[in-house]
Amino acid sequence: MKKALAILLSLALLLGLAGSAFAEDDWITLRVETYDREIAGLDVTNCWQLHYAQEHFGDPNHIKLEFVSYARWTEGDLLTVALAGGTAPDICLTYNGGLVQQAIDDEGIWQLDDLLNEYGPNLKAFLGEELLGYGQSDHDGDGVKEQWYIPARRISRANVGNFIREDWLKALNMEKPTNIEEFTKYLRDAKAANLGGTTTTPFAFGIYAPDPLYNVRRFTDAWVDFSQVSEEDWFAYARNPEMLPGSKEGFRWLNTLYHEGIIPDTFALTDNDQANDTALIMGYNGFFSQQPDQPWRTDKNYEIEMEKNVEGAHWVTVNPFKNESLGGKTLHDIYAPAGLSIIIPLTTDEKTAIAAIKYMDWMAQPENMFMMQNGLEGINYTGLTEDGIPYGVKSADDVPNENKMHAGDICFISNGLCYGDDAKNNAALALPFAGYEDDVVASYEDALTDAWTQISFTVSIQAETDFGATVKSAQGKFLADVVSADPEKFDEVYDAGLQDILNSGAQQMIDEFRQAYKDGNYRGVYPGNL
Amino acid sequence: MSGETRVKKPRGLSWIRRDWRLYVMLILPVAFYLIFCYKPMLGLMIAFQKFNMFKGMWGSKFIGLENFRFVMNMPDFPVALRNTLFLNLMGLIAGFPVPIVLAIMLNELHSVPFKKVSQTLLYLPHFLSWIIIGGMVLQIFSPSTGIINATLLKWGWIDKGIPFLTDGPHWQFTYTLVGVWQSMGWGTILYLSAITGINMELFEAAKIDGANKMQQIWHVTLPGIRPTIVVLLILNVGQMMNISFDRPYVLGNPMVQNYCDVLSTFVYRAGITNSQFARATAIGLFQSVVGMILITGANLITRKLGEEGIW
Repeated sequence: MKKALAILLSLALLLGLAGSAFAEDDWITLRVETYDREIAGLDVTNCWQLHYAQEHFGDPNHIKLEFVSYARWTEGDLLTVALAGGTAPDICLTYNGGLVQQAIDDEGIWQLDDLLNEYGPNLKAFLGEELLGYGQSDHDGDGVKEQWYIPARRISRANVGNFIREDWLKALNMEKPTNIEEFTKYLRDAKAANLGGTTTTPFAFGIYAPDPLYNVRRFTDAWVDFSQVSEEDWFAYARNPEMLPGSKEGFRWLNTLYHEGIIPDTFALTDNDQANDTALIMGYNGFFSQQPDQPWRTDKNYEIEMEKNVEGAHWVTVNPFKNESLGGKTLHDIYAPAGLSIIIPLTTDEKTAIAAIKYMDWMAQPENMFMMQNGLEGINYTGLTEDGIPYGVKSADDVPNENKMHAGDICFISNGLCYGDDAKNNAALALPFAGYEDDVVASYEDALTDAWTQISFTVSIQAETDFGATVKSAQGKFLADVVSADPEKFDEVYDAGLQDILNSGAQQMIDEFRQAYKDGNYRGVYPGNL
Repeated sequence: MSGETRVKKPRGLSWIRRDWRLYVMLILPVAFYLIFCYKPMLGLMIAFQKFNMFKGMWGSKFIGLENFRFVMNMPDFPVALRNTLFLNLMGLIAGFPVPIVLAIMLNELHSVPFKKVSQTLLYLPHFLSWIIIGGMVLQIFSPSTGIINATLLKWGWIDKGIPFLTDGPHWQFTYTLVGVWQSMGWGTILYLSAITGINMELFEAAKIDGANKMQQIWHVTLPGIRPTIVVLLILNVGQMMNISFDRPYVLGNPMVQNYCDVLSTFVYRAGITNSQFARATAIGLFQSVVGMILITGANLITRKLGEEGIW
């Protein structure tokens, strides 16, 4: 009986397919950009999530879903080319804010207000008005902001993770440092005792070439004298933390550490990559600063890899960067609530654009999002906690190929796993890291202490388009120069470096940022208001 | 002569009828050049436009030389230009004679197996990607942990690491040295084939006249490969404005920014990373025009000196 039914159903399906071939205009194809992270065994253009969405959203709506794969780390370049060539997918995702701005300026994408209002009630509810505001700007100059892109909702906004070696603290008979003085003593004592062997360089430090001061300001902002920094200045110097009054002493501190051998003398040669990773897992370092969950991430697991090499080694979070001018606050920058940007190019016709919004609206409904992010019980995870959060999440290797998935990339309206409210979402953050839950929770707590939201602007900043990259390269040179400068010539090198940065286009950027602030076209938090 | 009357001047399309097979065969390479080399040149016009990627090169606004003016006024431009010329000049001075000497040395080798092994080892670096070479350079030249500095420090010959990679002039030296090492073997190929083309009787005559090895090299081998040397020199001079992206990008670092930033890395930064394609194109066009002038000039001078140029 069952068999007969199955045959009947497949026949119906076949006939249905044949029927659709005849009535072609009834069905439309929706092409959706999908990141490819080259996870072994996962074909993102033919994955479980696609089949699930096709079955539950596509088929009932007569929409054929097609996932178009773009390599994650070159997505911006690939999408630029596709947009320029008119071959971009109907739903485009990107982390490249400059590209989105360009698309708005060049008028190459759909204005989404009407579409969202009519077809995206669930999507709008999921994202919320404040977040949607990130995707709005006044392009035609009529004083009313239009919706140009849909910002994905960032679930966890923590960005800063500072980690120190618990086993080194024990060896030095020290408590966890709570201010810069104690922290510096820890670094010096660790170096003196050669706790990581002859190649001990306690402070893992490198230059992140795409944005050299992005990570360094985590340290130097502790020296900024906020009595001299107005809210306006804070936004004007959005990309120039080295210009903030007081930060000079922070760079001098780094310079001292360099000359004491605490920062490796190769810091400017390796671009935050392999050599630094090796030093970390070989146990040469006593401190590093990356993402709040970095030691336990599956791709670069500094904790487990290091434990294999060094008996008893253990990373724990540390929070010493107190700013005295703010009464001892330990500043941590956090991401804006907006994650990646979603745009619909004008090459997509109206019918397909409507389908695109409908697809995201479907995705925004809690039960659908849960499936798209977590997959199937027993296959992708072991079971559910009382709160309805999956536990025993399987790593990609332990899931059969046909069930492999990537939650964030394919359920792209949510950057991070979403279970309804903040409490559940935060509890879920530590769940994938069995055995280290307490460490992860503590790290996130530190990362959200005295947190200020990163700065962004709601108007196109022409100077940043023109000079952003050259300013960053000048900042890279500046950082290399001041950290390695002869201590006696430090002031000279520092001043000359600042001038170079200003000349490379920073002055124009600062002026334009200042204007944008005065016009109210900014987002973010001034630490003086915390 | 009787043959003369038989040669008819081609009349009408008879030449096609006679050699049509050859012309058919020519279609493919000609089409290749038209499609992949000439058609893309149309895109050069975006150098004179405020390029809008959605409107494309036919719909964007013409703004004259504005892109050129903008790029050339950036403070990094003169630095990048100077470094490009300097590093290329150093590469030419240090790198051009080496393959010639090497080719002559290889040619004098009698043991065939030894010659083959040497050649293979010499060619090998050419096939390594600059990313890999960059890793090797780091291992060898790092400030205190590189093989050279670590060894010298251990022996007590120096008390401070030599800043091969972290000091400007030292870096220029390292850059040039690594470049010569990477390309010298490959460069010998053309010279070796040129040497093979020299008439053996000349060597025998020289021997009979009592010329020793050095004299044979000086009076027979070198004049024999002179046309090859000249052609390669002209081509190299024409490349003075062009510099690869990967080599300076991989070997460079922020500490020597003022020495390692060249036009290609500058274009990448100021043009590609911010999707400023029109500006990147403007620099590319500028490089090509200067390259054209240089190569024409070099060719002219060579011809004045009585050598055969490349055209």
